[in-house]
Amino acid sequence: MPSAWITTRAWLLMLPLLVVMVAVVSWPMAETVRLSFTDAKLVGTGGAYVGFDNYAKLLTGRPFLLALKTTTLFAVLSVALEVLAGVLAALLLDQEFRGRTLVRALMILPWALPTVVNAMLWRLIYNPEYGALNSLLLQTGLISGYRSWLGEPTSALWAIVAADVWKNFPLVALIALAALQAVPRDVKAAAIVDGAGAFARFRIVTWPYLVGPLTIAVVLRTIEAFKVFDIIWVMTRGGPANATRTLSILVYQEAFSFQRAGSGASMALLVTLIVTLFAVSYIAILRRSAAGS
Amino acid sequence: MNTLELSGITKRYGAMETLKGIDLSLEAGEFLVLLGASGCGKSTLLNIIAGLIEPTDGDVRIAGRSMRGVHPKNRDIAMVFQSYALYPNLTVARNIGFGLEMRKVPAAERAAAVRRAAEILQIEPLLERRPSELSGGQRQRVAIGRALVRDPKVFLFDEPLSNLDAKLRLETRTELKRLHHALKATVVYVTHDQVEAMTLATRIAVMRDGRIEQIGTPREIYDRPANLYVAGFMGSPPMNVLKGSITDDSLSWAPLDGSGRLPLPPALRDSLRPGTALTVGIRPERVGLSSTAGAAQLTMTVDVVELTGAEILAVGQVGSQPFIANLDPDAAVEPGATLPFAMDPASLRWFDADSGKALT
Repeated sequence: MPSAWITTRAWLLMLPLLVVMVAVVSWPMAETVRLSFTDAKLVGTGGAYVGFDNYAKLLTGRPFLLALKTTTLFAVLSVALEVLAGVLAALLLDQEFRGRTLVRALMILPWALPTVVNAMLWRLIYNPEYGALNSLLLQTGLISGYRSWLGEPTSALWAIVAADVWKNFPLVALIALAALQAVPRDVKAAAIVDGAGAFARFRIVTWPYLVGPLTIAVVLRTIEAFKVFDIIWVMTRGGPANATRTLSILVYQEAFSFQRAGSGASMALLVTLIVTLFAVSYIAILRRSAAGS
Repeated sequence: MNTLELSGITKRYGAMETLKGIDLSLEAGEFLVLLGASGCGKSTLLNIIAGLIEPTDGDVRIAGRSMRGVHPKNRDIAMVFQSYALYPNLTVARNIGFGLEMRKVPAAERAAAVRRAAEILQIEPLLERRPSELSGGQRQRVAIGRALVRDPKVFLFDEPLSNLDAKLRLETRTELKRLHHALKATVVYVTHDQVEAMTLATRIAVMRDGRIEQIGTPREIYDRPANLYVAGFMGSPPMNVLKGSITDDSLSWAPLDGSGRLPLPPALRDSLRPGTALTVGIRPERVGLSSTAGAAQLTMTVDVVELTGAEILAVGQVGSQPFIANLDPDAAVEPGATLPFAMDPASLRWFDADSGKALT
């Protein structure tokens, strides 16, 4: 078969997908870029060209920079804790014990829950009047009275981070467990014979097999964390006093609550840019590890 | 005092008994090969010596000291694994020196020991590389270096050559033999390859189903197999095994069917009655074509003739029993021929037909 026809046929077969991609991704994207240079409102007639005004306001204004800080804090905290909890869980589940398969299956549950359900669940746990967390902490004497975990700016972000970690550490644990099981038994045995203790064995034998998959998990989770919206929207709507207002929440508020489509679009594009940087690094890592192996 | 002594070693996993009572002892400088098909328990036994697996029962003694409850690192053993088991992100030098590093040997002393081992194994130019930059043969040298540098009482090798290609396997085998001579090391070596066992061992223990079937020098194992299993396991092609019985005059043995007689050794002549079923083992390479009809003892019909270069394998039957003769490459044999052959009676091995145990 002539190669020209093969190429043509390939394009023909991909055409439906391309059409859909253009309709739902490329066109809205281009429209967002156009909007970001206007002062368009969500309703009413379509806005005048304002050049880089929206971007300039964003980068010098407090709300955007605060939201960027909150998002970064959320991403760093939740990803770090997810990796820590995930690796520890994986190390435990890598041991031989009775009922291991059951525990492994149970561990998936938080991750399998829809984010909204998880968020509702944690709102119940944090409830200032009848929440389980208050009850637990009071009964163990760690606090002297019930507190509104999601109602106080100092604790709200941490409370959401905890809920997010609970939901997402199983994914990291699964990836880490798969990596741990790829560690050759012989190498473990060699390290034991060589006299390496548990910590040295982890560093020399386990870590090299863990670091690659874990890097991928970290990048993927960071991208997700940077885009975080649903869990926060359900739990705090960005409050109290904007303490949990991340970039996605801010974009939503700007574009839909305050109906400023133009400046909302410019924010959305900046978030896209940041996430794209992570995605590029993810692809670079994948390429490098593919070349390495 | 024996360097290594195993007494009554058993290992059970639930209802499955992997090792059924292993006793053996090793003097300093011996090279013992544990030989057997996969699943015979040889690797389990090696891991028990290393301390990586606890025996269900029995005792391991190294240099007279009981190893019960002694951690692998304190057993004065070093182990070389089939998959090399190198630490992927350490340099060759650190891989070799890792055991010393963990034992807090001072850096200068460690470096000297690593250099010495690298010199012996001729891998000095590789010391700063990482395992991923090495070929299979080089990795195996590093793995051996890691054991050498420890200067242990006993070296344990777990099928160290089976991941190498044929040519490299041959070279490394020779090298291991040279190393053993030079270092006077005490070695326990696990393999399923009988050629490795024959060439390397000072003694071979043939294992099957968690038991040692026979232990002896390679010569003994090859020439005087203790039973039909060992006879069939060793040699390529293995020993021919023919069923038959003692003739009425008690002087000779006749195969089940087909023609011919083999002289019975005097010891058997006296102790066994005519008609007793007896199995004889004949090494293919001990078979000679008989030119004079009188010297012919047995006759085989030839189905296939295989020239390997150094020899001719004549594959066929004696009566209805399969038989292989390993002949000179210039022997004139054609498929379909009837081949009278003879052999030195001393090279025959006699087995009890029921138990399969050797009688002479």
